[in-house]
Amino acid sequence: MSDIPPPTRMNQQVFKLKKKAASSGHRLLKKKADALKAKFRDYAKAIAATKGNMSQHTKDSFFSLTQATYAAGDFKKKVREGNMVARVRVGAGVDNVAGVKLPVFTEIETGAVGQESLGLIGGGSKILSSRSKFTSLLSSLIKLASLQTSFVTLDEAMKVTNRRVNALENVTIPRIEGILDYISRELDELEREDFTRLKKVQASKEEKIKEEQVKKEEERERLKKEGREIEDAKGGDCMEEEGEGDLLF
Amino acid sequence: MATPGTAQPTSVGGMDTFNIAHGFVESLVRGMRNSFLSDSDYHHLTQCDNLDDCKMNLGETDFGPALQEESTLSPTILQSAAINKLSTEFLYLRSQSVAPLSTFLDFITHEYMIDNIMLLLKGTMSGRDINDLISMAHPLGLFKESTMRSIPTFESNSKGYADLYQCVLVDTPVGVYFAKFLKETSQQLGNAGEVRNVLEEVEIEIIKASLQKFWLEDFYAFCEELGGETAMMMGEILRTRADTHAINVTLNSFGTALNEPSMRLSDRKRLYPSFGHLYPHGTAMLVNAHDPDSLGAVVSQFSQYAPAWTVHTSGVDKSIDDAFYERDVHQLELAFEGQMHFACFYAYVKLKEQEIRNLVWISECVLQNQKESINSFVPIFSQHSPWRVKNQRR
Repeated sequence: MSDIPPPTRMNQQVFKLKKKAASSGHRLLKKKADALKAKFRDYAKAIAATKGNMSQHTKDSFFSLTQATYAAGDFKKKVREGNMVARVRVGAGVDNVAGVKLPVFTEIETGAVGQESLGLIGGGSKILSSRSKFTSLLSSLIKLASLQTSFVTLDEAMKVTNRRVNALENVTIPRIEGILDYISRELDELEREDFTRLKKVQASKEEKIKEEQVKKEEERERLKKEGREIEDAKGGDCMEEEGEGDLLF
Repeated sequence: MATPGTAQPTSVGGMDTFNIAHGFVESLVRGMRNSFLSDSDYHHLTQCDNLDDCKMNLGETDFGPALQEESTLSPTILQSAAINKLSTEFLYLRSQSVAPLSTFLDFITHEYMIDNIMLLLKGTMSGRDINDLISMAHPLGLFKESTMRSIPTFESNSKGYADLYQCVLVDTPVGVYFAKFLKETSQQLGNAGEVRNVLEEVEIEIIKASLQKFWLEDFYAFCEELGGETAMMMGEILRTRADTHAINVTLNSFGTALNEPSMRLSDRKRLYPSFGHLYPHGTAMLVNAHDPDSLGAVVSQFSQYAPAWTVHTSGVDKSIDDAFYERDVHQLELAFEGQMHFACFYAYVKLKEQEIRNLVWISECVLQNQKESINSFVPIFSQHSPWRVKNQRR
């Protein structure tokens, strides 16, 4: 706390507002962190499931490739040399989760037709089944890639949010509360000072009045002794008529 | 009868004269017949857990020396080593042979040459390096190195391709088939079909199927000319091959552009060879087959192919390709029976090819840990083959 704010009532209002803002911000951020955590867990589950059946799927696909090569000879060379136009493209998009922008990948069919007559002289059906297996493997691969990048980004976002929540919880709000405490304490202190001062002033005034009274009494006694009573029917001082004394406020 | 010294080398020869010119080479082939993996070899291989075990087991077979230089084994390494071994043996046979056996052996290589040419042409069009392409070519189908290297020097435009064809392809033995194909296609396209258009528009597989058809017809004509036992045995083998070609083309064209009614008559019909059991009535019916059922109806009428078709329709663990492979192996094994003919050479090459397919299959299954289907290959000269067992039971 480098510069301590002067303990005025205005500052007290200011800092009360700050505290309110901080707590509502903290509440909202906590909600965001919870939403992100829930999504995080969902993604983790989805990734585990997809990875699980991908391993079997990959095995099947590569085995179907072996079967196709057995039936049709080595056609990999022909595929490489042929006109390679992508039949499937990967599109990148952005998904918004609780205010966090997550990258997602989608599968786009370009509608380009591949080499249809690849196994014309033998093994065509095996090549077709191999092709369909790899197509479905590709789509689950794209899905997995999408899930994993979202997962990583979500992880980052979660860390940042949690850091902010903790910062608010453990640093900002206690600091503001500390300042508020200080201000209210100081204000109380000032009040008490004033109060004490006034009391003291009052006390000394009363003493003065008492002294005056005593003096007057002595005067009266003296004058009485001198034989004459001075009529102080004048009603006394104006001061006495007005009640107890000064109006303090 | 001619004395042995004056025997004409340009004939196959009958029982009495065959061995003069071709006896040595035939004995070589029969020796090589023993190098096929036996049942126990296959059994040991299927029991392997990883590829090093496979390598160890193969070390004792005929493949041992070929694999010794390789430190690790992978299915591709195994395949290329086996193909190189086959090509070395074949070239040795070829170098020892005289006409007409040498021509016969050349015919066998034309099939692989067709493959290589298509690979080189297509690869050059996509701009690949010539050395890569040559290393990917099948060793049995290599033609002159200079010819191969000159292919990418031609420009990639229509004039370049016409030049390429004129200068290069005409010289190769398979140039004839190319010429026939281009003539047919230009008649089809109705213009002076430029080579480049043809290569780009027609799919490479269709070109290859057409070239193979021409090659089969040529080979068949040559065998018929040779006469005698060769014509009989090779005729049967080649007729079966032509029918397989036709059935496969029809079956695999369902769902592609070839199956359109307009295309069927013009393009698909051209892919059926003009010989074989299915020719001419069967192929005429095949032209109109538009889905598997109609195809099945046609095929089931021919007793040799009906069982293969039932395998296809029941087809859970086996496909029609497996049925064809089995039938081919049966036929080719029979080609080793009897002597004084050339069919054993063709059978040797084809059976070795099947063995290489089997080895690659087994090694891939071992590598991918798919032990359940490891036994779906076709063993060669196996004591447990269905036809042998049936005979033994009698």
